[in-house]
Amino acid sequence: MLAVTLLSLLGATLTGAAQATATPPPAVGIVCTTGAGGVSASPIFNLTTHTGYISLPDGNTTFMWGFSNGADDFQHPGPVLCVNEGDTVTVILHNTLPDATSVVFPGQENVLADGVPSQPEVSGATMTSLAGTAAAAGGSATYTFTATRPGTFLYESGTNPEKQVRMGLFGALIVRPTLGANHAYDDPTSRFTPNEEFMVLLSEIDPYQHQAVENGATFNMNTYHPRYWLINGRGFPDSIADNGAAWLPNQPYGSLASVSPFGGAAHPYPGLARYLNVGTEDYPFHPHGNNGLVIGRDGRPLTGSGGQDLSMEKFAINIGPGQTWDVLFKWFDAEGYNPTTNPVPVTVPSLANEVIGVFYSGSPYLGSRETLPPGTQSKNQCGEYYIISHNHALFQITSWGTNMTGPITYMRINPPTPNSCG
Amino acid sequence: MSENVNPQPPRRRSAFATRGFTRRRFLGLAGGAVAVAGGVSWAGKVLVPEPVAYAASGDPDLYLAGTDGWIHLPETPAIPPYHPDVLAPAPFTTYIFGFRNVTGMTALQKVGQKNKAQHSAPLFWVKQFDPAHPVDFKVQLTNLGLQGRPDLFDAHTLHWHGFRNVIPFFDGEPTGSVAVPSGRDFTYVYRPRDPGTYMYHCHVEDVEHVHMGMTGLVFVRPLQDGNTSLYRSGTYLYNDGDGSTGFDREFSMFLSEVWAEAHWADAHIQLPEWSDYHADFSLLNGRVYPDTIAPNGSVDPFHPVRDPNGDLIPPTGRPDLQYQPLSSLVTCNAGDRVALRFANLGFREQAMTLSGIRMRVLGRDATPMRGRDGTDTSYETETLDIGPGESYDVIFEAPDHQGPGFDTYLLYNRNYTRSNNLAPGSFGGQATEVRVYAANTVQQQQYPNDWGI
Repeated sequence: MLAVTLLSLLGATLTGAAQATATPPPAVGIVCTTGAGGVSASPIFNLTTHTGYISLPDGNTTFMWGFSNGADDFQHPGPVLCVNEGDTVTVILHNTLPDATSVVFPGQENVLADGVPSQPEVSGATMTSLAGTAAAAGGSATYTFTATRPGTFLYESGTNPEKQVRMGLFGALIVRPTLGANHAYDDPTSRFTPNEEFMVLLSEIDPYQHQAVENGATFNMNTYHPRYWLINGRGFPDSIADNGAAWLPNQPYGSLASVSPFGGAAHPYPGLARYLNVGTEDYPFHPHGNNGLVIGRDGRPLTGSGGQDLSMEKFAINIGPGQTWDVLFKWFDAEGYNPTTNPVPVTVPSLANEVIGVFYSGSPYLGSRETLPPGTQSKNQCGEYYIISHNHALFQITSWGTNMTGPITYMRINPPTPNSCG
Repeated sequence: MSENVNPQPPRRRSAFATRGFTRRRFLGLAGGAVAVAGGVSWAGKVLVPEPVAYAASGDPDLYLAGTDGWIHLPETPAIPPYHPDVLAPAPFTTYIFGFRNVTGMTALQKVGQKNKAQHSAPLFWVKQFDPAHPVDFKVQLTNLGLQGRPDLFDAHTLHWHGFRNVIPFFDGEPTGSVAVPSGRDFTYVYRPRDPGTYMYHCHVEDVEHVHMGMTGLVFVRPLQDGNTSLYRSGTYLYNDGDGSTGFDREFSMFLSEVWAEAHWADAHIQLPEWSDYHADFSLLNGRVYPDTIAPNGSVDPFHPVRDPNGDLIPPTGRPDLQYQPLSSLVTCNAGDRVALRFANLGFREQAMTLSGIRMRVLGRDATPMRGRDGTDTSYETETLDIGPGESYDVIFEAPDHQGPGFDTYLLYNRNYTRSNNLAPGSFGGQATEVRVYAANTVQQQQYPNDWGI
């Protein structure tokens, strides 16, 4: 009886998924996968496991496992599942891998697996999974829960997670509050600018273990040693390419933050960065140029029992394994520098006496450009600023020997309109 | 300095130089060493003298130089072949990149500091910007080049880590702005509006330049300073309005690390594999215990004491610590409120434990421990976990004096592999002592980390 219901749901939702993918994603920002099929407030997701390959900044590719939406091809990381507070969420897992697998939803309560409370599976005295599994090579399992709390969450494999999560079976789950999709929580002070919402999903890869799995050998935690660190499944400079960049067919999520200067009636609310760490150790992420205001962790607002505000401003977002941090951020020029009315109080050296960064406009001023010396390569478009964010455990912004890659991204500050950015 | 006119692509990336603007090529540019693409029309870099001298902006408040140099870490046990480095001139062991304070030097003295970098970088501090009496704080940076690596032409920058709402021009991140090539200068202008503890470092190829030692601590004093009605000393961590962050004595505790292989590699024209990173030595203010309790050299950057050539004068009896001038010994009188300013630019999380005394955490990342509605979020702890790039401000109250002499409390990294100099059974690394004296024994500090005895 249950199986029949599930099959009919699957049929409906696969059709829905195919239609959904016809819409091109936004170039930057979070690409939400919303439930297909089901009814309002009861979204249904079909997650299919796949194997595939991703491209890394040193030119290597590595073998991965991953969750995909419906009948989509392999992707890394898994789709960003967006639901609303109070939704009854159904996730149907279709497993094509050679191992049994499952999904756990850290931070969600009363999760059901195939209609019963999701419990560890044991074989004799050995625990084989943290949650009810979908059998290898064709099995399925259905998980349901009520998304009672807004916030940012992970979902990930609960079966041999030390192998399967490392292999890529993870993704982000965003629960929108009742107060609206432009709030992080049911708190007016958590309001943000909707087109300045970004995901920072941090992970790591040991390529030897992935090669072993590809060859049917053991993923050996005793020799585990990450060589790559990624942001939203990519390393810099791929990290700042658009969502869905054609040359990264299996890594759909960029992490460039494109924003306008904060302030005034046109821009009264900050942006929101949703940080998630799916790695094995703390990742200290450092946004330049503006502190973040940490308003929530692990899907819980930083609010005391009496409503006290426990938020904290930080310049280093030190995210522990499995944690999520919700961080409001904004940038404005504290000095309001302007080439005519308020110039920088220093002699600007001749550009020929400086080493010119590839994102630099040639001018200190937002929206201004200067002629660069002949031969200078510039990626600056219209005098916009680029302000870096990166992991500050600096050996982790490398890719097996290629330095200054890995979990690095930028915040692009667009000049006030009208501008020439097109 | 002739290396600066070399139009070759960045070092270490020559394999990709001839492919045009490939993705790999882009990586090299993003690395920030040189932003000149291999365009066929490029005829070489032209270095133009400044038409207007820096006199146009007035003298800088601080003048820093980026260069290379040598420091001393315990020779035994050795880490062959990396430590001690066979190229190190006596009495030193370890090759570094670093900063020096060249404020007020003659041109000759200044260029004489090439290959005389220090670690940690010069400690400095600034009074919070006061809109009623606006004064810019200007730090000029020059690049003296790397004597140990004449094949390199690395630029340098000054990145004030944590400075809020800065424009890229003054942020020192070289890809989004500019960097300072060898023999050139750049002046960074700051209006520090937020008191607290920060750090600074070179951001050019920062995986390497940060680890090699171009790192130090900077803090901002609050406008509330001088108000003795809230706390007797009139010195505070923040504009607290209630004296809760007032202190009698202050000590900077800058945390960094040395992976011997990486330092050796830079001296020997080799490359480390950064994913093999580990800290052989964990440093407190550029030294390891027990050197951390050796005397200060010249610490106050605004009143530097130097030899006639402009070089650093070693702490008394410690010529090996000539380029590690900052002591970590904490001296205080019973009952003193003592502020410790921690900043971590190592690559690993540290767990600094003050054994036997509770610390109250009053600031983090240059932000007072207050919610937006003023809720007090300060807390007490004995062990402070400090991630890379984080800063913490704590205050402890010195306990009653037991005597005779001074009472010793240990401040050390509870991750014991970081409070050890690799020698079995010996304390070392990120550790120092807190010495509590009888009341009115220790004199008022003339500068941070001043012993006053």
